[in-house]
Amino acid sequence: MSVKKTYWKGLSEKHQTPEFVHANTKEFQDDLTIDEFVGGEGVEQFKTGRRDFLKFMGFSVAAATLASCETPVIKSIPYVNKPEDVTPGVANWYASSFYDGIDFANVLVKTREGRPIWLKGIKDGFSKSGITPRINSSTLNLYNSSRLNGPTIDGQESSWITVDSAIKEQLVSIAAEGGNIRILSNTIISPSTKMVIDNFISKYSSSANEMDESNATLPSVKHIQYDAISYSAIREANAESFGKNIIPNYNFNKAKVVVSINADFISNWLLPTKFGVDYGETRNPDNSWMSKHFQFESVMSLTGANADVRAQAKPSEEGLVALAILNKLKGKAVENLNENLSNAVNKAVIALNENKGHSLVVGGSNNKSTQLVINEINNHLGNYGNTIDLNKSLNLFQGKDSDLETLVDEVVNNKVDALLVYGSNPVYSLPNGSEFANALKNIKLSVSFSEFADETASNCKYICPDHNYLESWNDFSPISGHYSIQQPVIRPLYDTRQAQESMMVWSDNAERADKESASFHSEIKKNWKSNGFPNQSEHISFTDFWNWSVHNGFTNLNNTTEVVEAMSFNTSSTDYVSEINRLAENTGEWEFVSYQSELGAGQYASNAWLQELPKSVTKVVWDNYITMAPTDCYKLFGMNSDDQKSSWDGIHLGQEEPAFVATVTVNGENIKLPIYPLPGQALGTIGISFGYGRGENEENIGKSAFQCDEFGEHILADGKKVPIGANVFKFSSFDSGEIRYFGKVDSITLNDEKYALACTQTHHTIMGRTSILKETSFGTFKGSPKNDYNPPHVLHSHAEGGHSEEKATNYSLWDEHPVEHVGHRWGMSIDLSSCNGCGVCIVSCHSENNVPVVGKDEVRRSRDMHWLRMDRYFSSIEDDNRKDWDENRATGDFSYDKLEIPEENPSVMFMPMLCQHCNHAPCETVCPVAATTHSNEGLNMMTYNRCIGTRYCGNNCPYKVRRFNWFNYRDYRKFKNITPAQDEMARLVLNPDVVVRSRGVMEKCSFCVQRIQEGKLNAKKDGRPVVDGDVVTACADACPNGCITFGDWNDKDSDIREKSEDNRAYQALEEVGVKPNIWYQLKVRNVDEEQIVANNDVHEEHEH
Amino acid sequence: MHKEADIRKPLILGDKTYRDITDDVIRPIESKAPRTWYILILIAGVLAAWGIGCIIYLLGTGVGVWGLNKTVEWAWDITNFVWWVGIGHAGTLISAVLLLFRQKWRFAINRAAEAMTIFAVMMAGLFPLIHMGRLWVGYWVFPLPNQFGSMWVNFNSPLLWDVFAISTYFSVSLVFWYIGLIPDFATIRDRVTKPLAKRVYRVLSFGWTGNAKAWNRFELVSLVLAGLATPLVFSVHSIVSFDFATSIVPGWHTTIFPPYFVSGAVFSGFAMVQTLMLILRKAYKLEEYLHVKHIEYMNIVIIVTGSIVGVAYITELFVSWYSGVEYEAYAFLNRATGPYWWAYASMMTCNVISPQLFWFKKLRTSLMFSFFMSIIINIGMWFERFVIIVTSIHRDYVPSSWTYFHPTWVDIGIFMGTIGIFFVLYLLFSRYFPVLPIAELKTILKSSGKNYKENYGHGKDYWDSQSEH
Repeated sequence: MSVKKTYWKGLSEKHQTPEFVHANTKEFQDDLTIDEFVGGEGVEQFKTGRRDFLKFMGFSVAAATLASCETPVIKSIPYVNKPEDVTPGVANWYASSFYDGIDFANVLVKTREGRPIWLKGIKDGFSKSGITPRINSSTLNLYNSSRLNGPTIDGQESSWITVDSAIKEQLVSIAAEGGNIRILSNTIISPSTKMVIDNFISKYSSSANEMDESNATLPSVKHIQYDAISYSAIREANAESFGKNIIPNYNFNKAKVVVSINADFISNWLLPTKFGVDYGETRNPDNSWMSKHFQFESVMSLTGANADVRAQAKPSEEGLVALAILNKLKGKAVENLNENLSNAVNKAVIALNENKGHSLVVGGSNNKSTQLVINEINNHLGNYGNTIDLNKSLNLFQGKDSDLETLVDEVVNNKVDALLVYGSNPVYSLPNGSEFANALKNIKLSVSFSEFADETASNCKYICPDHNYLESWNDFSPISGHYSIQQPVIRPLYDTRQAQESMMVWSDNAERADKESASFHSEIKKNWKSNGFPNQSEHISFTDFWNWSVHNGFTNLNNTTEVVEAMSFNTSSTDYVSEINRLAENTGEWEFVSYQSELGAGQYASNAWLQELPKSVTKVVWDNYITMAPTDCYKLFGMNSDDQKSSWDGIHLGQEEPAFVATVTVNGENIKLPIYPLPGQALGTIGISFGYGRGENEENIGKSAFQCDEFGEHILADGKKVPIGANVFKFSSFDSGEIRYFGKVDSITLNDEKYALACTQTHHTIMGRTSILKETSFGTFKGSPKNDYNPPHVLHSHAEGGHSEEKATNYSLWDEHPVEHVGHRWGMSIDLSSCNGCGVCIVSCHSENNVPVVGKDEVRRSRDMHWLRMDRYFSSIEDDNRKDWDENRATGDFSYDKLEIPEENPSVMFMPMLCQHCNHAPCETVCPVAATTHSNEGLNMMTYNRCIGTRYCGNNCPYKVRRFNWFNYRDYRKFKNITPAQDEMARLVLNPDVVVRSRGVMEKCSFCVQRIQEGKLNAKKDGRPVVDGDVVTACADACPNGCITFGDWNDKDSDIREKSEDNRAYQALEEVGVKPNIWYQLKVRNVDEEQIVANNDVHEEHEH
Repeated sequence: MHKEADIRKPLILGDKTYRDITDDVIRPIESKAPRTWYILILIAGVLAAWGIGCIIYLLGTGVGVWGLNKTVEWAWDITNFVWWVGIGHAGTLISAVLLLFRQKWRFAINRAAEAMTIFAVMMAGLFPLIHMGRLWVGYWVFPLPNQFGSMWVNFNSPLLWDVFAISTYFSVSLVFWYIGLIPDFATIRDRVTKPLAKRVYRVLSFGWTGNAKAWNRFELVSLVLAGLATPLVFSVHSIVSFDFATSIVPGWHTTIFPPYFVSGAVFSGFAMVQTLMLILRKAYKLEEYLHVKHIEYMNIVIIVTGSIVGVAYITELFVSWYSGVEYEAYAFLNRATGPYWWAYASMMTCNVISPQLFWFKKLRTSLMFSFFMSIIINIGMWFERFVIIVTSIHRDYVPSSWTYFHPTWVDIGIFMGTIGIFFVLYLLFSRYFPVLPIAELKTILKSSGKNYKENYGHGKDYWDSQSEH
């Protein structure tokens, strides 16, 4: 029996007296004297003393401070009704197509919670997974906050109802008066869009009769296709050679010899997406053969940088080079060429002769005569039907220069009553753009479908903004027989309407359509049902056919309506020789050549990712410049070129010293730009890239299209925002029915001022270092043991019996990292041979990992943030001496100073450089707070939250791949006009899987750890181990040529394991002993000087 | 009474008594500050304020306001850090090492040199703090128990060793300095009349009674601290040098660094002591306590350490060639002949060639020349650190990343600012603290004082006839 003792406060409690019970019901036994306290007279006598005041103050301040310490809560709102296909955190991928009049690609778009954020090419599409940086960065264009939100009339916001009725009314009245209605568009390769345009044309060309029979003049309605960068001459030449106005399909993957006369087919010419991949297939030295590539060009293009033999030819000499090749092939003598060119021509001809039917000669010239010669060369070599397919021709670039010239004349002479501009920006890209702009203002009805109030649109009365391609339906036929589908992946962000629907409304083929109307969608379906479905045999129902086509993004129709006909080569063509000679003679001291670069025709001038992408050869960002041969620079700058080093330093290649600025005058137009001395440029030429100088009149095309000062404010000149670079379209001209993109320079004068260019790379040669980059020739690779071309780094060591050579990697102070045997070990292999340096990996990494865009001023301070960069090295004038010295120290001699100077026509190496995820990472040991550590899967990890920013890791990284957040890029004013993260629309492009780093922390390539996690989780969900291919990094995923292989090295069957062990595999700086998880496959060039010389001798004998 | 060899020159000139020493040292504290003092502290204060302003701008905006870039991620910040740490070396060396070696001439300079050390180490410590990207989490470098799970510091990192080395050095130096000051504070306490000053000095003097027991303990503590501080003199700069030596950067990765850095530090430390003392002796009329002989001794230390540094430079060049390592060879060639040749040339001229002039007795006993040289050496040693840090990393392994470093006005502003803060502290010290160790000077008066020496040995006029001045 337990005894529980009870204690009382007092007797009253023990006895439970009524007083006690009563009092105990209340918390306070006596009433509080509040009334007394508040209302009493005493209150007035109370004083808050100094001490009390301080106490209250102290308490309040402390309380307020504490309260304000809380982290701001950012609320995310969950779905009330979850959309069927959207699972937060899980990406959806949609097949679509990209076409903007310049590039075409089948793409796979990644969307997160309804936002397209990343894309890559479709491997089995027509463009074979090929994309360009322009396409890769196009997701950002969607979120440009300068896009028009609704239609405008004379620059004033309006509504679709108003605009529709006004435009229709005017169209009808113009048609009734028999006026001229013109539609100016880029090349339309969409069958359904063509149908819409045709309907529009037929509606208005016939409508006059219906309305007023007495009117004698019929309205003239025409559709003119206009390519900002024209390929008209190829079509014209083929029309003459074969009787058909076509651009044939080129099969670079079948060509054992490629001769390109100024065609940058890897990154810009015609269809770089497909050609780049095709060409890449022939550059794999592991195959039995490797293509041999000759390039004749003036400005070093990406294609030229990849060529095995590159010769510098002025643009006026292109025809002569073609002619020389033709003559030489026919056994005639070569004339009119300088020694370098004729040597290269000889080599090319030998190679071509050996590979008849397996060679390919292409030309970038927009000159019919030159193209005719090239046609004849290809015909002579029997390439038609083999490497060139005339039957399946490309539908791209249908613009005809003479038609365009006629239209421009009509517009300028006020003969056009209504002009509809779709997908092009003639005011910017025509030779006489400003004249066109003035004329545009006088046109009765001018309509633009531009997404922006750009140069042309802002001069039009009406702007009916089109959807972005990611918001709309379309179909494309880039080549006969192939049909791609563009499907929307997001609801339209702004009050825009697809141009096709606008035209359908105006031609009464659709009801007034709003922004989410599906009338064009049903038009496409109708078209596919009646034209596409009958021409296929795979699907039995149209729904099935349509759904699969949408799912795949494309379909191939076997039995096309086109008749395959044998085309015969017409040899009796016009006298191209005199035309070529006319062009060759029309030269002055200087020739200019304008070319297409990463920025295309300038459509994406405000795309910060694209602007921050270093130009593949020059490594300049955010700027346009004049390229000139260094030797020409010495001449122009008045330098003594006897002292190679000081004259090289004097021309200021890079950003340490601001560049010289020159004014170039052509046909009375002036362009003032900084000079970039580009090794490999043809002497006497200056090169300027298209795509810059957008928004010269402050057109609202996006914040990033204008220059910013070092505090992030737009730079103003005469009160106007200063565009980036200058527009070189002004220099082009109409010449005998062709647009000429080169010509005589009237004058080039050096200005007193200097201008700071921003380059991500300011040192241009490899300095004779052999363990960073390795390269060999195809002959050596095929015919010699590994040690000849890929020797390991050895150290002299003392062994029993004397001296021995040991592999440097055999020595280590460290124990082997356990990751090498257990679990996953993520590794990467990069094939330098098939990598052409296009830069898609850079942009795809940028967009995947929310890498900050830092702008020109920061890049100028060498603070670019690229996690993955493309190092570019020119060969040096001193490389041979250095090699001799290495091999035979006793007699050789070389100078480090001269090693810094590139050759006049250098060979070029590209090397993607990213965090090597070293197993013995030097960055990991030096971090005082262990913010960078090694994972048990071989990843070198960065814990941003732990980083205190000592930057010791960055200093200790031998590859210099670590990037420091110098500022708060997300908030600091300097980046407000540049970085997408600071724009409320552009911010939507950020990848939600990757954190946006804050100021003061180090960041670097993570091997896309978010993708690794995703791959592992997917495998886990499926209840299986991770297999090769489950995890792909963004760069590897986007690389058109598949140069980057990623996978688990511990998986013995994986590609990466195999590649890491093959003969070409090496690790950069392996002797440093950091044991990277990245292997490079050394570059193989198809150069074999001896063989060429030997063949040359044989050939000469033959000629005798 | 310890008796000193007759041929040694006297360390205290003039006809001094114990009373004179006390008077001479305390006079500046008791009297009103001269106008020049106010002018100097105003200039230093403006400089300091400007520097603090720059630091606030830096902390508010980001490390990007400096001129650093993706390749050169340390430049002026760590250069200044090592430079100030080096300067902070002399004080403890003088007070600890020279104490153990019973070098009596050190009494003329040790107090001021220790003060210099304290202030220099404070300036040095500032740079690793503000160079951090996120200063507000800088306390993570300490191995504190925390709520972040198992997050702990990385004991492999030399930067962590720095944290311990610098903080230990600073605290030991501070204690050593303060212990030495106690008897002198007591002397001041006993003399000053203003009530506030008396109170402050009473607190500072820590209840010093001056009895034999106190003196005995004082001596003991000094000796123990000297024993503790001596290894620190060598460890601090050795550890600072590990920041570079343990890295893999060509030009940093050098085993020669610890001894080379320590001698460089002593070299620059003595130069700074000279700069300061030569001004101080003039301003405070201490010519009789600190005279040519002291300066000469210091100049000898400068020759020795300067020569060690010179040998180190040349050894580095030799090793870079002899190693046969491509990157190493280029790093040193680039130092001497690359874009930063001017920095290398300044360093070589100031640190290797110029101290050799001290072999001439005429030059090393010239006060004006010594002062000039001390400035030159300070400049040279700044360049040494700059050369090591910047020229090594601006062109390391992969040529594509090679860059150049351009300082911004913030880089320069903060450096000038630390000089300002240093001088503000030093000027305050010289006003309110005894700049010479009163008690300790008295211990050598009878052995090394001129008048005492005259009374035995060579006689009255001997030293005057031997004197150059």
